[in-house]
Amino acid sequence: MSNAFVYNFDQVQNEMRAMAKELLESGEATMVIGWEKGALPYQSTPVMIRSAEDVDKLIWDAYCQQNLSTYLIDYIYTDEKVAIFAKGCDTRAYNRLIQDNRIKAEKCIVIGVPCPGMKNAREAARLPENAEVPMANACKECRYPNPVVFDKRVGTDVTAWCTERDFSDVEAIEAMPADDKYAFWQSQYTKCIRCYACRNICPACNCTSCIFDQSASGWCSKDINASENQFYGVTRAFHVAGRCIECGQCEMVCPSEVPIMLMNKKFIKDIDSLFGAHEAGLDTNTPAPLSHFSVSDPEEFM
Amino acid sequence: MSDNSVKTANDVAENFEPKILVFACNWCTYAGADLAGTSRLQYPPNVRILRVPCSCRVNPQFVIRAFQRGIDGVLVAGCHPGDCHYTTGNYYTRRRFLLINRMMEYMGIDPKRFHTRWISGAEGPKFQQVVTEMIEEVRAIGPNRKLRDDMKVTVNTDDIVASVEADTKVVADNV
Repeated sequence: MSNAFVYNFDQVQNEMRAMAKELLESGEATMVIGWEKGALPYQSTPVMIRSAEDVDKLIWDAYCQQNLSTYLIDYIYTDEKVAIFAKGCDTRAYNRLIQDNRIKAEKCIVIGVPCPGMKNAREAARLPENAEVPMANACKECRYPNPVVFDKRVGTDVTAWCTERDFSDVEAIEAMPADDKYAFWQSQYTKCIRCYACRNICPACNCTSCIFDQSASGWCSKDINASENQFYGVTRAFHVAGRCIECGQCEMVCPSEVPIMLMNKKFIKDIDSLFGAHEAGLDTNTPAPLSHFSVSDPEEFM
Repeated sequence: MSDNSVKTANDVAENFEPKILVFACNWCTYAGADLAGTSRLQYPPNVRILRVPCSCRVNPQFVIRAFQRGIDGVLVAGCHPGDCHYTTGNYYTRRRFLLINRMMEYMGIDPKRFHTRWISGAEGPKFQQVVTEMIEEVRAIGPNRKLRDDMKVTVNTDDIVASVEADTKVVADNV
C-alpha cells in the first residue's frame, strides 16, 4: 500500500486539466465530469464542466472516491457527448452499465486515471487534522487500480497492492451461531434510515424503476423497522449479486454506517465457489452469473 | 388462523402448529401434490400450497415476505432440472436459490425453515415425504420469530440523532 504516498497527484491533476481543456476546446466533448474540491479538506465532489475556462475547477486528490460512471445514465437521451474521468473501479462500473444497456459507448469518452487508492473520508472527518488517514475499506482490497477500459488516459499505471479478496470478515460472520448472526444484522438494520443512498450511488443498481419506489405494489412498506429494513437490505444485495464491482460506494455514502459490503461480499464469495470465479465489469462479454446458467451447476435440491 | 400472537411459552410448546408455505410449480410439483391427494397419501394439514407457473417465478423476495408475515417454513418446489415446461426455468431457480439459501443462513435464519426441492408430477410419495419431514422439523424448532414484521423491532432513533449530532459537530469544528 506504500505506493499510495509516492504517487504524484498534482502531476496527474495537471494532465487531467489539460485533457479536459483540449476535449472541450476541440468540441470533441460537450461536457467533462470530474471532481472538484468540496467544502472540507476530506471532501471531493463531482463537477460537470462545460466550458474550457472552468477546467481549473478540476482536482485529483486522495478523496476522489465517488464513482462518476453512474452520471452517464442521465445523459443517455441527450445529444451530449460526455467525457468522464474514471479510476479502475469506475471503468468496471462503465463496463457494467454498457453491459446492462444503460449507456451507449459512442456517447461517452472514458478518460482512464490510474488510482493509488483513496483515503477513508469518514475516518478523516473523525481524526485530528494532519493525522495519517487510512485507506478506504473498498480500496484496500482493490485489485484493479488501473482503468480496464478507456478511450484516452492520463497518468501512468500503478502496481496493484492487493492480489486476492479478503473474505475473513464474511467468514467471521458465517462462523457465528444463527442467533448471533441474526442479532448482528438486526443491530445493523435498525440503524438503517432507508434513505436509499446505497441504491442511488450504486452502478449495479440501475433499474429505470425500482421495486422500492413502488409501495403500492404491496411488496414492501415504507415502514422503518428492522423487518422492513432487512427486507430492503437482502433484496438490494440480491439485486446486485454477480454484478457488484466492489467499489464500496454503498458503504461510503451510508449515513448510518451499515456494513453493506458484508452482504455483497457474501454473494461474491458464494458465486465464486458455486459457479466459478467471476469479476464483474472487467469486460462486456462475460454474462453476469445470475443471467445465465450451466446444466452442471451444483445440485443440492434433489 | 391469522392470529400470529403467541400468548405464553406453554402455548407454544403444547399448541404450536407450524405454518408451511409451499410454492409449487404448476407443471410438476402441483401435479405431484395432486397425485399425493388422489393416491390418498396423508400428510399434515399445515401446508399452504401456492401454485406458480414455474419455480423460476418464485422471487426470493416472496420467501422473505412469507417469513415477515408469520410463516414458519417455506418450501420452493419445481420440476427436476431438464424437465422444465419452459425448458430452462428451473436452472435459473437453482442458481438463485443456491445463493439465497446461503444468504438466509448468513442472516441467521435456520436452514431447516427454508428448502428447495425438485418434485415431479409422478412423485406424489416424495411430496408427502418432503412436506411431512419439513413440518416435523419446523415443529421441533418452534415458531419463527425472525424477520417477522409484527415483532415491531423499531429503529433506535436516539442512536441516529446522536450520530448525526456527532458528525455535525465534526463538520462545525472543521469549518
